[in-house]
Amino acid sequence: MLEQFGYVGIFLLIATGFTVLIPLLPKLFKLMGLIPGKKTAAKLVQYECGMQTIGKTWVQFNFRYYYFAVLFVLLDMLTIFLYPWAVNIKDLGVGGLVAVGIFLVILAVGYIYAWRKGALQWK
Amino acid sequence: MPTIVPWLIFLLPFASFLLIGLILRPFLNKWPRVAGYVTIGAVGLACALAFWVLFAVMGAPEHKLMVDDIQWAIIGNLNIHIGVLVDALTAVMVVVVTFVSLMVQIYSQGYMKGDPGYQRYYAFMSLFTACMLGLVLANNILFMFVFWEGVGLGSYLLIGFWFHKPSAANAAKKAFIVTRAGDFGFLAAILLLYASTGTFDTQTLYNLVATGALAGTTLTWVAIGIFAGAAGKSAQFPLHVWLPDAMEGPTPVSSLIHAATMVAAGVFLVARFYPLFQHSAEAMTTVAVIGAFTAIFAASMGLVMNDIKRVLAYSTISQLGYMMLGLGVGSVAIGIFHLFTHAFFKCLLFLGSGSVNHGTGTFDMRLMGGLRKAMPWTYATFVIGSLSLAGIWPLAGFWSKDQILVAAFANNPVLFTLAIVTVFMTAFYMFRAVFMTFHGEYKGGAVPEHGSHDEHSHGPHESPAVMVAPMVVLTVMAVCAGWFNVTGGFSQLLGSEAEGTNLVASFLGVFMHPLPLASLIVALLGIFLAYAMYLKKWISPEKIGNALKPIYTLLYRKYFMDELYENVFVKTILYNGIFKAMAMFDSSIVDGTVNGVANTTAGAGGVLRKIQNGQTQLYVISIAIGAIAIAICVYLFH
Amino acid sequence: MLIDEMKYITPEISLLCFALLIVVVDLFVTRKGVLPILSVIGALVAAFFTVGLWGNGGISAFNNMIAIDQFGLFFKLLILASLVLVVMASNKYVLKFEKFQGEYYAVLMLSAIGLMLLVSAVNLITIYVSLELSSISLYALVSFLKDKASSEAGLKYLILGAVASAILLYGMALTFGLTGSTGLTAIADYFRTSSTASPLLLTGLVLIIAGFGFKIASVPFQLWVPDVYEGAPTPITAYLSVASKAAGFAVITRILMTAFGQPDWLHAEWAIIIAVLAALTMTVGNVTALVQTNIKRLFGYSSIAQAGYLMVGLAAMGMATQGNADIRSGIIFFLFSYTLTNLGAFIAIIAISNKIDSDQIADYTGMGKRSPLLAGALTLFLVSLTGLPPTAGLIAKIYIFNGAVDQGLLWLVVIAVINSVISAFYYFRVVKVMWMGEPASQDKVTSSWPEWTALAVCCIMVVIIGVAPGAFVGLTQAAVKMFGI
Repeated sequence: MLEQFGYVGIFLLIATGFTVLIPLLPKLFKLMGLIPGKKTAAKLVQYECGMQTIGKTWVQFNFRYYYFAVLFVLLDMLTIFLYPWAVNIKDLGVGGLVAVGIFLVILAVGYIYAWRKGALQWK
Repeated sequence: MPTIVPWLIFLLPFASFLLIGLILRPFLNKWPRVAGYVTIGAVGLACALAFWVLFAVMGAPEHKLMVDDIQWAIIGNLNIHIGVLVDALTAVMVVVVTFVSLMVQIYSQGYMKGDPGYQRYYAFMSLFTACMLGLVLANNILFMFVFWEGVGLGSYLLIGFWFHKPSAANAAKKAFIVTRAGDFGFLAAILLLYASTGTFDTQTLYNLVATGALAGTTLTWVAIGIFAGAAGKSAQFPLHVWLPDAMEGPTPVSSLIHAATMVAAGVFLVARFYPLFQHSAEAMTTVAVIGAFTAIFAASMGLVMNDIKRVLAYSTISQLGYMMLGLGVGSVAIGIFHLFTHAFFKCLLFLGSGSVNHGTGTFDMRLMGGLRKAMPWTYATFVIGSLSLAGIWPLAGFWSKDQILVAAFANNPVLFTLAIVTVFMTAFYMFRAVFMTFHGEYKGGAVPEHGSHDEHSHGPHESPAVMVAPMVVLTVMAVCAGWFNVTGGFSQLLGSEAEGTNLVASFLGVFMHPLPLASLIVALLGIFLAYAMYLKKWISPEKIGNALKPIYTLLYRKYFMDELYENVFVKTILYNGIFKAMAMFDSSIVDGTVNGVANTTAGAGGVLRKIQNGQTQLYVISIAIGAIAIAICVYLFH
Repeated sequence: MLIDEMKYITPEISLLCFALLIVVVDLFVTRKGVLPILSVIGALVAAFFTVGLWGNGGISAFNNMIAIDQFGLFFKLLILASLVLVVMASNKYVLKFEKFQGEYYAVLMLSAIGLMLLVSAVNLITIYVSLELSSISLYALVSFLKDKASSEAGLKYLILGAVASAILLYGMALTFGLTGSTGLTAIADYFRTSSTASPLLLTGLVLIIAGFGFKIASVPFQLWVPDVYEGAPTPITAYLSVASKAAGFAVITRILMTAFGQPDWLHAEWAIIIAVLAALTMTVGNVTALVQTNIKRLFGYSSIAQAGYLMVGLAAMGMATQGNADIRSGIIFFLFSYTLTNLGAFIAIIAISNKIDSDQIADYTGMGKRSPLLAGALTLFLVSLTGLPPTAGLIAKIYIFNGAVDQGLLWLVVIAVINSVISAFYYFRVVKVMWMGEPASQDKVTSSWPEWTALAVCCIMVVIIGVAPGAFVGLTQAAVKMFGI
């Protein structure tokens, strides 16, 4: 028990040390004269890589993204349940088939609902 | 006999009330007469069942039927059951009540015809009858009190039936308030009983009295409290003032009130708790003295009234006094026997007065006269009823009154004297009424008070068959009802020992004994005096009235009892004295306290409402603090 | 086998099928009148299955997750009955939603499924899951009107419900940590051998009581009640005040009796907590109700007060040494009569406010003239809530208070009776307003036949229970049989 917590403790120590060490490293190098430490505009932005942001960050997303996201999760669920069933299809037999059938029906109801309510349209 | 039978006697009229009140009146308003048929059907059926119960009781050992209680509910260890007490007293009472009620309901079809409140009338009548039956059947004093109040409510509704008339509304209020005064005594008695015995059950109370567990001063006070209630309902002095005014209701209602339901309730109550009274000499004396005094007191006022219903009303009070006297000096059998016979002839007389009113449109005897020819049936039945009330052999009234006189004679000469003088007065005022109403010349009647009876305009006339038929039936009873006890059968049923004499000997025996003979002669003298004064005019009533002006005025103004109550009690003592003091006390101290409490409560409500300010974060904090507080308390106190 | 045990949850499964059916039917049908009919049929089918299970006393299914016992089945029937009545009462009210009528009925049925599972759950995990199922449905239902008040109420209910749920979960976790089990009977087995109250246990117990205290609206967790009741659609307020509350009481009774019912030191521990909370709850509920002007808020506080009376029963149950069946049947009886009475009152309120479009008590003036039947029915229910004869409310109060007096809780019963007297003030204020005042308008207030039917059922039941309680007492006594006791 304690031994296992010990591993966690060591992990915690290393993680903390690493996090503290990395920001301090440039200062240390500068003190040792290894780097010049000149501040330029490019160096002072938050992230020194990737695209520059354009416009304000308070952008309104079209709420239909959420619909699609939810429908996507639905599909994900379908996959997650169908895959293990497909692997064990022989062992699970008719009972499994019926259970998955019910599952599909319930999901189908969800899709029919989304479709009829117009969630699949981008207007 | 199935258990359900006694229950049905109560439930049928009650169901009729519900049916009319909840279904017929709101939804079948087009056919008002249905309400009448429903009531008559229900009461008629109840009457048939009542006879069944009576015969079953007559055949049962000790004249008592064992009817199992109905388990109302077992709630935890609390066992609530309700039951009926079916003994001879109950059996006789249910028969009287249902029979008289049935007659009145049939009669009412004619009397109330065309009244806009026809359905309401029958609904109330059903309720009134049902409450009286409930009172009679109940086997515990608490339920008796509930139905007792139900009877009071029924009388209030019916006396004030024509509530648009101020006099009717006032009479209803008066009846309700005056009887309430007596009910305080009854309620106090119930509480005292419960405090000292812990039971409401009638049979248990009998046993407690028999074993002596309930005795002494407590018993006396309980008995007097019960009698106070009875005096209110049975219109005994000094709570009699409501009854003469109660005639403001429709006449069939008066008939029912005076014969079988309201006023009989008081006598019944005393009879029901008779074992309690028997063990307290003081209570018995109270009952007897109040009874005898009421008898003569009311009779004296009856001498001078000009309103036929008022004459009958005072006669009722007087006869109720007799019943109380009979209970006080004699036994249950004597008092109830008089109630039994009285129910028939008094009901008959009231129906007769209603019939006269139906024909002439007035109750004032000075406006009547000569109705003998126009209303032969009413005349014949009314005379027989009067003879019975006067106590003429061999009609019903003679037999029951005779027993009371015998008992009073054996008990106390003063009470006997009061009773025998009352016999004279009774005979006199009844025949005064007969002669003024039916003999001589017709004096014109009056315009009808309520517009429904438009046929009044063309002179006096006989009432329809539906009104006459019940009167005829009641006449038969007014003649025969007394014969049930000629050989002592009725007394035996109610638990008195009676010598088993043979029928003919006791039937004619009255002429051998001085006492019955004396009462008969006194009654005949009374009738003769009335004959002399009001038919032959040998003696002018006006002259006597003028000669004895103060007495006449005293009687005519009802001993100024109404004024006494109104001015002295109500205005001076109650209103200016007690009420004002109470008002002072109320406004300054009680109100102060109540307002204080109310303000505190409402203030607390206000404070609590402020907490409820709709801020979700506050609610969350409250949940958190609440949980922590509970936990801390638990740690500290567990 | 798992499949074989499916038959024990046929009521829930059938109800679920109907809920899905309603969603689908709603998509393709323009005549929405068919939806409430389907809901009622679904509830009746579920009730039929529930009655079919009645014979199976004390079976546990799905590895001790769910118990099939009379106690649970009785409450399932009660929940289904209130579902049917609420659906009937919603009949006209749903027209306010325009869209989403199908969802309304379906979500209502889903919450009923959650409550039905809740009353039969005998494992802390199933209890929690089914509680959440019903709660989430209810959050949606509360905000169904989508106006300002309704949305606010829904959001408040959601946030506070989540907090309460977290507290409950914390309590359950502590209990699990102490006993090493989530099954109620297994927890009971652990306590049977222990003899002292550890702080851990006390904390767990307090937190569980607090969590359910939110559900049953006990002080100091009752603050959400008036706000949510006021903002929610009225039929949902009715549903919250009866079904949700009844299920809450059922499950807390089950947890306390099954898991914490033995030994004696343990049930005495929670009995006294609940007794004190009961006194506070009814007093706060009644006193605050005195100053309300909105009838839905009034009923919110009234339902808090009624919860207080019920907690008197719970406290008495904890005081009894040998799991007194009479007291438990008293609680069930009270819930039964309270459900009918309160639902009836709400149906009358729905019918009236549909017409006058106001929840202010002042606007009920003269209702006796505008609709004698509705006003008469509401009067009857208020009389029953006060606890006067000849109604169910009186018998229920006698039942509970009698049991409490027997267990030595006289002080609590005295407080309860004083509270009943206080409650008469605000209940009769409504009665007085309805019958004494002159109506503002002469328009008659009428209602639709499903509402009349529902109202008539409630009226008749309230009177029958008040006049002849014998059969219902028998029913509740049969329903006290609980799995594991």
